[in-house]
Amino acid sequence: MSNILTIIKKEFSRFFRDRRLVIGTLLLPGLLIFVLYTLMGSVFADTSETYTAKVVNPSEAFASLVAPEGEDAAILLSEIEESDLDAAKAEVKNGDADLVIVFPEGFDQALAGGQTYPVGQAPNVEVWYDSGSASSSAAYNLVYSLLDGLENSLSNMFDVNFAGGGDLVSAAEAEASYYAMLLPFLILTFLYSGCMGIAPESIAGEKERGTIATLLVTPVKRSELVMGKIASLSVLSALSAISSFIGTFLALPKLIGGSIGSAFASYSAGQYFALFAVMLSAVLIIVSLISIISSFAKSVKEATSLSVPLMVIVMLVGISTMLFTTHAHAAFLIPVYNCVQVMAEIFSMQFSWVNLAITLGSNLVYIVLLVWVLTKMFKSEKVIFNS
Amino acid sequence: MSQLQAGNDAPREIIRAEGIRKTFTLSRKQRKLEKSETGKKVALDGLSFTAYEGEIYGLLGPNGAGKTTMLRILSTLIRPDEGDAFIAGHSVVKEPEKVRASIGFLTSELKLEDFFTPAYLFGFFGKLHGMDEQTLEKRRGELFSRFGIDKFAEVKVGDLSTGMKQKVSIAISILHDPSVIIFDEPTNGLDVLTAKVVTDFLSEQKAQGKSIIVSTHIFSLVEKLCDRVGVIIGGRMAAEGSLADVSGGKPLEDAFFDLYKRTVTGV
Repeated sequence: MSNILTIIKKEFSRFFRDRRLVIGTLLLPGLLIFVLYTLMGSVFADTSETYTAKVVNPSEAFASLVAPEGEDAAILLSEIEESDLDAAKAEVKNGDADLVIVFPEGFDQALAGGQTYPVGQAPNVEVWYDSGSASSSAAYNLVYSLLDGLENSLSNMFDVNFAGGGDLVSAAEAEASYYAMLLPFLILTFLYSGCMGIAPESIAGEKERGTIATLLVTPVKRSELVMGKIASLSVLSALSAISSFIGTFLALPKLIGGSIGSAFASYSAGQYFALFAVMLSAVLIIVSLISIISSFAKSVKEATSLSVPLMVIVMLVGISTMLFTTHAHAAFLIPVYNCVQVMAEIFSMQFSWVNLAITLGSNLVYIVLLVWVLTKMFKSEKVIFNS
Repeated sequence: MSQLQAGNDAPREIIRAEGIRKTFTLSRKQRKLEKSETGKKVALDGLSFTAYEGEIYGLLGPNGAGKTTMLRILSTLIRPDEGDAFIAGHSVVKEPEKVRASIGFLTSELKLEDFFTPAYLFGFFGKLHGMDEQTLEKRRGELFSRFGIDKFAEVKVGDLSTGMKQKVSIAISILHDPSVIIFDEPTNGLDVLTAKVVTDFLSEQKAQGKSIIVSTHIFSLVEKLCDRVGVIIGGRMAAEGSLADVSGGKPLEDAFFDLYKRTVTGV
């Protein structure tokens, strides 16, 4: 036991005394995710843009839809003569304006008349736009839907969800189901990438530099060495994942709106405990797997590149909650997949203790098995001497 | 298990290898090169020898003879396929931890982490050997001043010269004061000054009553240091005995070539 502690202590001082490692694995991931998500959020969430449109024969009915009373107009309409049409189209083409709208003469009167026509014979509204420009395309879609709505409102037979009806989901539940899809994937990815930054260096790196054999000629047991390595690497991977998670936590509301905080406040202590237990078993499994890959590899480089295919698999399993959820107990025997599903259950508040128990129990068996395999590998000359 | 020889004056056995056999599985590429049908290469073919307390025993042989494999088995880094070896009465197969506690193993393949200082590593390995803080402190004082590491105790290993690194490696490998020292190719790749540090160290340890086993292909080293030699050729013990027995009055080098011719060609 004291040997395990000695090894853990050494792994920690190797990590925390190395400024490069601390910055690279603890600070940068969170910071990068925060900056990236915030930037993405500010690009996607920018809905305050106003478009400009040149209008021939303006329609008051349309204008009142574009700028309802008391709201800012989404589109600035400016009237032009029919003779200026070609010049206006050129402005759209070179980006000075977003749209040219040509209403037929007497459009408002025709609307008031309420007459209907077969397709092809009705008065035509021309909307000229440039699909090569993002703002012109967006303006076109907006105008198209406004005109469509205008036409529908004239021949109205019934409304849907206008005066009554609606979504019965509570705000917390809506956010919960959203996070149930997203969070297991993010957590798993963060854990994996955190581990990938540390484990290959600690195992394949020691092998590559010949320092692991020095450890192996001390009286320390192979199993103690393996447990010390896995315990310390798990803590460090978890810290790295937490860094990524803090970055996400701070930036996600900017990206998708809402707040993780309010979603988290709705979970009970039991759910948090379950979440912690599942994540612990996930990090131990992932660290063991990458450690085995690293022991097998001849160099850090090889270990990292061999870990990539496994990362793809883990990420695919991570998005499985977006595609389907299962409640069959046997499915919770599948490693990694069971962690994702239990996390999804916890986040979506449809949590089952039986599934948690199956997940933790089977994962414990897998971890013991993986530690045993790693201990075996540490006894093999092929692994130690790269022969 | 500790083997006391009959009679009071007879030297006490400290290392005994019994019929050690070790084969390695070859990769497909190696199989073609070695023209091996079975896909196995026999590194050690029933090797037996005995080293006595307080002597320096030399394993002499050409490259690929199996010297390093034998020493790795003695240090429990790898396990024999057949046979067993005993160090200070402990079986390398059944009690590897006890064997490791009683040996100091040194080879150029065992490196120290560049990132740490000699002082840190000394403490780390000392704890793994189960030494308490007080003993460790005393031992560090002794060994660091013996090898002149004091001034470099807080310099990262990566920043030390090759010679100083070797000294730190030696100090750390014997920090637990082992009764047996196993040294694979002790002077390989070292300049004359560093090599002298190593040979002086070995003589000094012998004078302190330690038992030492070294492997080498350098005849002069054997002649200078060793009390007894075992000549390994092709994984087998071709000759064993005192330096005088094995060389038979000739220079050791000539005696070795005669032996080699006889063993390999059967002439």
